[in-house]
Amino acid sequence: MILVIGGYAAGKKEYVRSLGYQDEDFTIDPREEKPVVWGLEALAAQAGEGWESLVPGLVEKEVVICQEVGSGVIPLEKEARQMREYTGRLCTALAERADRVVRLFCGIPTIIKE
Amino acid sequence: MCPRNKEEKGRFLLVVGGSASGKSQFAESLAVSAPGKRYYIATMEPFGKEAQWRIARHRLLRENKGFETVERFWELGSLVLPQRGTALLECVTNLLANEIFSPEGAGEQGAVEAILQGIASLRRQCHLLVAVSGEVGLEPLSQYAPETRRYMGLLGKINREMAKQADEVWEVTCGVPICHKGGTR
Repeated sequence: MILVIGGYAAGKKEYVRSLGYQDEDFTIDPREEKPVVWGLEALAAQAGEGWESLVPGLVEKEVVICQEVGSGVIPLEKEARQMREYTGRLCTALAERADRVVRLFCGIPTIIKE
Repeated sequence: MCPRNKEEKGRFLLVVGGSASGKSQFAESLAVSAPGKRYYIATMEPFGKEAQWRIARHRLLRENKGFETVERFWELGSLVLPQRGTALLECVTNLLANEIFSPEGAGEQGAVEAILQGIASLRRQCHLLVAVSGEVGLEPLSQYAPETRRYMGLLGKINREMAKQADEVWEVTCGVPICHKGGTR
């Protein structure tokens, strides 16, 4: 599995398309039989404390895309805080199991783990 | 020796970072490494105390480095530099906000094109262009209003396009430059 991370509008999906994936390969629902899952940050927020249950399904995918969300000021609202927490933990868990982790910056990919 | 082609594009270096990351200082160091006339293209409208404080701080940073300041809040494409030299454009984030939200700007539809055209026009007038832009997409979108999200999307698009065209792309964090493309320093 390749984990692709980066800021909003950093070119994550564009990069995954450049690997040969088509629009119909993408889904936001990991239960769908599609090779690319994007919007991990929304999935993590949805799963809440149960984020760990997402890991086994996601590691079976070919590509997982997540927006980095943890580099701002930690907000006062509990829900917003937890969303960052779960996304960060989920990404960390996936990165540990990933064959490769790619970070996008202004559309430029850097392999940060292989 | 052949005279330099007037339409020849200058080298283009892109410097991107978060707020207070040290990106300005690094960008200046890139700009002053080139000989010849230096222009600083300032994009921040001096509205309010904080803007004035930031402008004063940046002026102090540039003092004695031989920059001539040119103010340009929008419509970069029509800017004519008196001489061919080095230009330091700071910052694309302001320029985009001005193009979108100022009455004089190109509006949301035309902003990306206006800025990219401006960059191309500047490159044709410079030996070296250093552009500074911001990284603002490292937080959840949910906390931002729809118009701010659209701004973030457009900034990302401009940053990606500039990165494609640039000879060098640098990310600056904690004052430390990280090269993503083309750098030899």
